[in-house]
Parts: sequence; structure tokens; C-alpha cells
Amino acid sequence: MDIIRTENLCYDYVTTDDDGNVTEKNTALINVNLTVPEGQFLAVLGHNGCGKSTLAKHFNAILTPTSGKVFVDGIDTADEDRIFDIRRTVGMVFQNPDNQLVATIVEEDVAFAPENLGVPPKEIRERVDDALKQVDMYEFREHAPHQLSGGQKQRVAIAGIIAMQPRCIVMDEPTAMLDPKGRKEVMRTIKQLNKEHGITVILITHYMEEAAQADRVVVMDKGAIIMDDEPHKVFAREKELRAVGLDVPQVTELCFMLREKGVDISTEIIFEDECAKAISELPLKKKTADITEEKPRDFADKTEETVRLENVTYKYSVGTPFEKTAVDDVSLSINQGEFIGIIGHTGSGKSTLIQHLNGLIKPTSGTVFIDGEDIHSKNVKIRDVRFKVGIVFQYSEHQLFEETVAKDIAYGPKNMGLSDEEIKVRVEEAAESMGITHLLEKSPFELSGGQQRRVALAGVLAMNPETLILDEPAAGLDPKGRNKILGLIKDYREKSGKTIILISHSMEDIVKFAEKVLVMNKGKVFCFDYTDNVFKNTENLVSIGLDVPQITRLSHRLKESGIEIGNDIYTTERAADRLFSLL
Amino acid sequence: MIKDITIGQYFPGKSPIHRMDSRVKLLLDLVYLVMLFTAQSFTGLLVGLFFMVMCYIIADIKLVMILKSVKPILPLMIFTAILNMLFITGEKPLFQWWIISIYPEGIRMSCFMLLRIVSLIVGMSLLTYTTSPIMLTDAIERLMSPLKKIRFPVHELSMMMTIALRFIPTLVEETDKIMSAQKARGAELDSGGFLKRAKSLVPIIIPLFVSAFKRANELATAMECRCYKGGEGRTRMRQLKIAARDIIATLIMLTLFAGIIVLNCFPIIP
Repeated sequence: MDIIRTENLCYDYVTTDDDGNVTEKNTALINVNLTVPEGQFLAVLGHNGCGKSTLAKHFNAILTPTSGKVFVDGIDTADEDRIFDIRRTVGMVFQNPDNQLVATIVEEDVAFAPENLGVPPKEIRERVDDALKQVDMYEFREHAPHQLSGGQKQRVAIAGIIAMQPRCIVMDEPTAMLDPKGRKEVMRTIKQLNKEHGITVILITHYMEEAAQADRVVVMDKGAIIMDDEPHKVFAREKELRAVGLDVPQVTELCFMLREKGVDISTEIIFEDECAKAISELPLKKKTADITEEKPRDFADKTEETVRLENVTYKYSVGTPFEKTAVDDVSLSINQGEFIGIIGHTGSGKSTLIQHLNGLIKPTSGTVFIDGEDIHSKNVKIRDVRFKVGIVFQYSEHQLFEETVAKDIAYGPKNMGLSDEEIKVRVEEAAESMGITHLLEKSPFELSGGQQRRVALAGVLAMNPETLILDEPAAGLDPKGRNKILGLIKDYREKSGKTIILISHSMEDIVKFAEKVLVMNKGKVFCFDYTDNVFKNTENLVSIGLDVPQITRLSHRLKESGIEIGNDIYTTERAADRLFSLL
Repeated sequence: MIKDITIGQYFPGKSPIHRMDSRVKLLLDLVYLVMLFTAQSFTGLLVGLFFMVMCYIIADIKLVMILKSVKPILPLMIFTAILNMLFITGEKPLFQWWIISIYPEGIRMSCFMLLRIVSLIVGMSLLTYTTSPIMLTDAIERLMSPLKKIRFPVHELSMMMTIALRFIPTLVEETDKIMSAQKARGAELDSGGFLKRAKSLVPIIIPLFVSAFKRANELATAMECRCYKGGEGRTRMRQLKIAARDIIATLIMLTLFAGIIVLNCFPIIP
């Protein structure tokens, strides 16, 4: 039985003026024909704006087709009398967990949908308890949502849908705003619902590794379905995927690299264990790769020191029962022109630490020096420090407020008291380095999320800070947006030679750019060294619960089966070279 | 951390007072307030206050909390006390200086009013200390439900209250983040004259509004997805039931009220 079926579905976003005349028409979906059998786990891929969210909103009659038909369990979604039958059959979970929770207590929130449906109180209680147990949040039933982590909130949101007892759940990028731990929790829940409870799952995602776990992958571009197959087959079409701004899992990429070198290996490989198996079946000449011990780089090319922390400790809510040490006795020094990456899981103190560098947070004890000066001493004006050390926060697009992009970028320079001409030059330079010159006269609120992010970045660049700190600049963007913004940051740094500090959950991003890496764990410095040295022992990083790249996990898997390609694998290129040397 | 803020000062617990039906608790609290205004003697007020202190002990809420709840009202209390002292006249002034004369009656009245205000605050605080905001909203919705007959939007109001309570911590956190971001761009939020300060709030308030509208929009869609269609035909998971402890509490309260009225007629301390 098909749970969802669309027939030549088309949808246009239409803007009309006051008289009802059409002023703008944007086609979002063109002739989509999709059939989803009950019990399937379907992943939908596509870059931002390809129409996948619009499609998802048709599955439970939030939107109805401009032309064509959508049937949910045989019911036409255009039939307004049956709208609640449709919505209880197909539940929907969105990206931002905060904006889906209605009540101030977890169990009250989960009860919301069955209450709306008029289910008898006793049965609601049973459904709520069941739903919370299914997402593993039962012991949090009396908590308030704001006390939970992102992953926990998202699981509560899923429980809120399960309590309707739907036969299908549509999830629109449910993991985009979560940290690696939260992502794993949510993915585990999704798979459990599908496999153990037989609920059909439609997962929209930007993460290729998540899509790889589905039964079937649909790829969309410009409002149409361009691929529809099982994941192995879809990811084997690497070139076509890249052409529409998508990626493939790292192990697939590795197989393509090996094939290019003439190795006979299948490219229909998406998981580490498959890849490890395929490699062990290759005619290997030897089992251990020669690893030329790279000399650890020393600090000979030392430039001038710009940031120094001495025994910095920061405690939240001192003297209350909630007292918590966020940063614990951190001492470190950063030189001018260095590109530093900071990794560590949520709560490891990295965000708190960077706010010390421009005086937004004053350490409970310890001293922060910028260019040799204690920034909290009497003769230093803290505002001048902020112009020297610029911070771009996570989801920085939320700080935009002006009528035009140009005015918004000018906010920082204006606060610095620069002349109008100087401000104009600064704005133009910053806009150019972020590739948004053509948007300067637009309102920041009519731009796409990726563009807004770049405007916010330009707003900090325009202050021309000596040190630029970026907290998760690529969070929540699609692969294309990620690459774009990270590429722009790299270009900026090459041109300006400024000190850059980049915080990211994605080790793939860090290793691509950073020269030195600071690993934070429980408020302390776990290690701080050149990138090569930090990743020399990837097993160490796994031991503090960090999420390592897939290719690194592959190297660990190979080691278990007796093939040693080194403990310093973090890029696909290196893995391909080492493997090739074994043949 | 901002996450630790408790709204409405609720202290979770399992005492009989915590577990009372929130409707009964709310009504009895109102009875207590009326009782304080009926009491005409010190003895009456002291008995009332003593009763409340006992309730705090039963509810296992530290008595320090009483002081904490009175603190914000302190300026108002001092002001009332001074007014009473200055303007109540009697037969023989106790003290006279320039145009100020203080009579023993004035002092008595000041003390009486002070005691009454303290008793009021202590009583109202007990309600919020032992009842979660959502229970309170629930109680108000149910007590007001007869008003639905005259088309008063009871359900809508309570839904709005719930959503407000739900989003206060989220928006507080958001404000904090936006402030940090603008400070990092050199915003000066706490210096300059009134006009400059008001102007410096623009970069905080606009993003906050933009985000609040976006949240509202997304929340509305999420609620639609969960079959929300207003109060009609809606059931509630939590059923409020009057238990033995509610009846006992009501009886105690009514006995106390009767006692106060008797005390009014035969005061021990006038």
C-alpha cells in the first residue's frame, strides 16, 4: 500500500498586489511524481531552494498543489473536510526544535496533539508515556523545554508527533541545527521508529551520511526529481551530484580516487564496513603502509604574539546551586597571522572561551592579554579591544537590523567613529571579500540564509579587526553554502594575513583550513598544537567523544582487520595515497 | 547561566500543598486575602500570618523565602507606613516638631498596615512557590470556563499565556545573544543620555522582533501539523480532581476565617 502518492504535482509561490493582480510567480515544483510505499525510509537530498521543503509541506496538506494531485493514504489532500485525517496520518517535524514546542513541560507538550484530536484523558496518558519511551526521553517528562539540549528537544518534538500515532513522519532537516551528538541521537531515534515500529520516514537532509542510511534516496534540483534510487546507486553518480551542489560520503570519494588510479574497486560503497571489506579483498602486496614520520613542526617561524591567556577560569552563577566552571585554568598564546581551529563538543567551553578574547566575558580569575596589554586593566578601553578582536557568532544572520545591507555593514565602522568616506571604503571592501557587492542596496531581510550569513560576516570584517573569531560560520548551511563561506574566509585570510580563529564541530572543515588546532574538553585545554600533530593520534580524539571524519573511522576499521594505513588519516587524499602504496 | 532562571519562582515538591488541586489552591488563597481585609485586630492578622508560616513549613519552603518575597515591596511598605504615621491623628500627640505631629494611633495604624501587607505578600507567594505556572494557567482557564457561555475567549487566553511562558526563557536567551553580537560590533548599551540609550536599543530590538515573528510563524505551522483547531472538542491529559486533602484544606481555611470574625468581636490585643 502506498502511503503517499503525487501525480504531476506543480506548485507556484505567487505574490499578488492589493488588487489581487499577480506581481511575481516563482515555480517551486514541476511535475513531481513520487510514490512512497508504507514502511519505507526515504531520504530527500537537494541544495537550498530546490523545492524539497515545499514538497514536504504537500504531504500533510500545509500546502495544496497549484496543479496535479497529492494522495495521502488514498485521500486527496485538496479535500478540506479530511484535513485532520491527513495530518494525523502524516506527522511533520521541522528544523528548529525550539519553534515546535508549545508547552512549558515536556509531557504536556507531547500531549498537545492527542488533546487536539479529542482523545480521552486516560488514553492520552498512555500515548504520551509510550511516545516518550520510544524517543528515550521518558525520564525527562517533567522538565521544561529550555533545560534540554538541542538533540533532546528535537526528540521531544518527534514524540509529540508519535503521540498522534501517525503512519508516516516527514522530517525537514531535523538535524541541521544540532551538534554531532544530538544528530546521532536523532538519527538513532528515526531508524528505530522505522525499523521497529514500521513507521514510514521521509527525511530531508544535507548530510550525505544520513541519507546513506535510508532505503531509498531522491535527489531534487530546480523543483524536479532528478534521481530516485537506492543509496548505493545514487552516490555512485558522484559527478552529477556535485553538479547540483551536493556531496558524496568520504568513503565513496575514496573509492572514486582509487579507481582513478586504476584500482579495481566498486564505487557503490557508502559505509565504512563495506569499504573496509572491499579493500581487504583487493590484492594487497603488504598490510602496513610505510609512514614517513613527518617531523613535528617547531615554532621557528614565530611571529609576534597577539593573544595570550594566563590561567583563565570562568564560573557561571557563582554562589548559587547552579555554579558551573565553564573554562578551567586555560593558558595559551596565539601568534599574529595564525589560523587556529577550535574543536570540542557542546559544553566543552569553547564558546565561553572566545568571548574572553574581546572582553564580552570577564574571567573569574586569570588574565587576558591582547597585544601585550591586560584588557581588563584600568587604562584599556574595552571597546577598543572589540575593534581589534572581531567575533562572528553562531547564526550571525540574527544580528542584522538595518534597512539596507550597506547600512548594516557600516554599523561597526560607525561605532568606531570613522569618517563617512572611510566607512564607505570599508563597507565596499568587506562586501567584496564576502562576494555580496551586488546586494548592498537590498534589505538584509529579503536575502537567503547563506547570503545573510555573509552580510553578518562582512559587518565584522568592515571593522578591520586584527584577529577574527568565527563561531561555527557554516552551521545549518547546505554543502554548497558551506563550501562557499569557508572558501571566502580562506581567501580573505590569504589576502589579509590576519589571525583567524575558527570554531567548528566539523573536523573536516578544521583540517582543511587550520594550521593549529585547539582541542577543548570539559573546560580545559586537551591539546593545542599544529594540525598534523593533533591528528597524529586520532584514537585519542575518539576517546574524549569527538566526532571524527568518516575516513578516520575507516582507518580504525582497517586497523582492526590488520591493514595499517596509519593513525593520522583525516583526509581522503592521504587515505588514497597510503592505500595505493599497499598495492 | 540564563538557562537557570525560574519563572514565577516555582519550587517543585511533593508536599500536600504542592499536590493540592490548583483551582482549590487559587480559590483558598483568595479567601485568605479577603480574610486579611476582614481582620480588624492585631491578633487576627498574627493568627493569619502564623497559619501561613505553618503552610510554608508543610510545603518545605525555606522561611528565608518569606523575606525574599517581601524585599521588593519594601519601599512601598515604608512609604505607606510613613503616610499613616503622618496623617492619622488622635487625641494626644506623642511627638511634635514644626508641622509634624505623631499620635500613638498613627503608629498603631502603621504597624497594622505593615503587618497586613506582609501577610498578603506571604500568602500570594506561597501560591506561586508551590504551583507551576502551567498549573496556575490551567486553574485560571478552568475557573473561568463558565465565561465561555458569554463568548469570552477563555481557551485562547490560556493558550496565549502558555505560549508566553514557554517562550520567555527562549527570548531571554536570544536577547542575550543579540546583545553580545552587537557589543562585539562596538555597540554601547549602557552609556550616554536617555535618547542615546534608547537609540542604541534599536539594533537589539529589531533583530529580536524579526526572530520573534519567524518563531511565531514556524510555531503556527507546527501547531497546525499537530491538528490544532482551537478549544473546541479538545480534551486534556491532566484531569484535575478534588481529593480529600482539598476538602480538609477548605475546612481549615473556613474555620480560620470564622475564627477571625469571632476575634473581631472579642479582640485579645485591640
